[in-house]
Amino acid sequence: MSEYRGCELPEDLFYDLDYVWVRPEEDGILTIGVTDPAQTMSGRLQKARIRKLGTHLEAGRHVATLESGKWAGGVPVPCAGEIVARNEALLDNPHLINVDPYGDAWIARVKPDDPRHALDNVKTGPDAIEALSAWIDRYDVQCMRCSD
Amino acid sequence: MTRIDQIMQQDHVRLDALLDISARAVREGRWQDAARHLEQFRHGIADGHMVVEETTLFPAFEAREGGTEHPLTALLRKGHQDLRVFFQEMAEAISAEDAEEFADLLSTVQTILKQHDAKEETELYPYLAEALPDHGQAVGQEILTFAAGERA
Ligand SMILES: [Fe+2]
Ligand SMILES: [Fe+2]
Repeated sequence: MSEYRGCELPEDLFYDLDYVWVRPEEDGILTIGVTDPAQTMSGRLQKARIRKLGTHLEAGRHVATLESGKWAGGVPVPCAGEIVARNEALLDNPHLINVDPYGDAWIARVKPDDPRHALDNVKTGPDAIEALSAWIDRYDVQCMRCSD
Repeated sequence: MTRIDQIMQQDHVRLDALLDISARAVREGRWQDAARHLEQFRHGIADGHMVVEETTLFPAFEAREGGTEHPLTALLRKGHQDLRVFFQEMAEAISAEDAEEFADLLSTVQTILKQHDAKEETELYPYLAEALPDHGQAVGQEILTFAAGERA
């Protein structure tokens, strides 16, 4: 696990180099969530809305919208696909995203229309970690873990 | 003489009002009106207001304050990118006559706009009103002409 200014950046995930992480599962489904620096920048989340199961989304459309007292934003999907699962726990407890952004607080699972090109718009490995570190610097984010 | 900060702030108010008119039409189930007013709002903000910011105001700020990687304009540019997607999604919710979906999107968009506009009004426009030679009046004229063209 890489860490930069206290922000966790798992090396095995794919990133859109903004708010979103993506994990390709063995069955080709993509699990989607928001990164540790992104949840830190957004502040304590108070509202999470996730699009309905079965919704088809084009690449770049929002699978979810999140709101804190001071921030609101969308969670875009990296490729076209259908929502096959959503994390219902977040609807009642959006703050979970602040607590465990890479684990319990995954947001939705999407079945890509074209599995061969599902990861064309996301990056992984050292280049991704470097770009995310630059993002953290640009927005002057410092992550803190309650459990530290 | 009207300074750029006053002109842009007034344009925020004008655009907020256009969005409100569309939202009211949705609540009253007047879907065609809602679509027409949303498109009026979208055109005003995305093809007018944001274009002037992206092509003139942000570059003027960046030229004086350390380039295109400046956190303020990076955040504002990203905000525009997100908003454009939301505008499309709102239009789709109207096409689908889905009032619940529209209300969700509207709430998010209004929150984004509130923060975005406040940031511009406190950190960007006042700075430019001081830094630009004519207090930005010439640039402001672009916005006024665009808004006037819509009313015509
Ligand atoms: Fe703007
Ligand atoms: Fe603006």
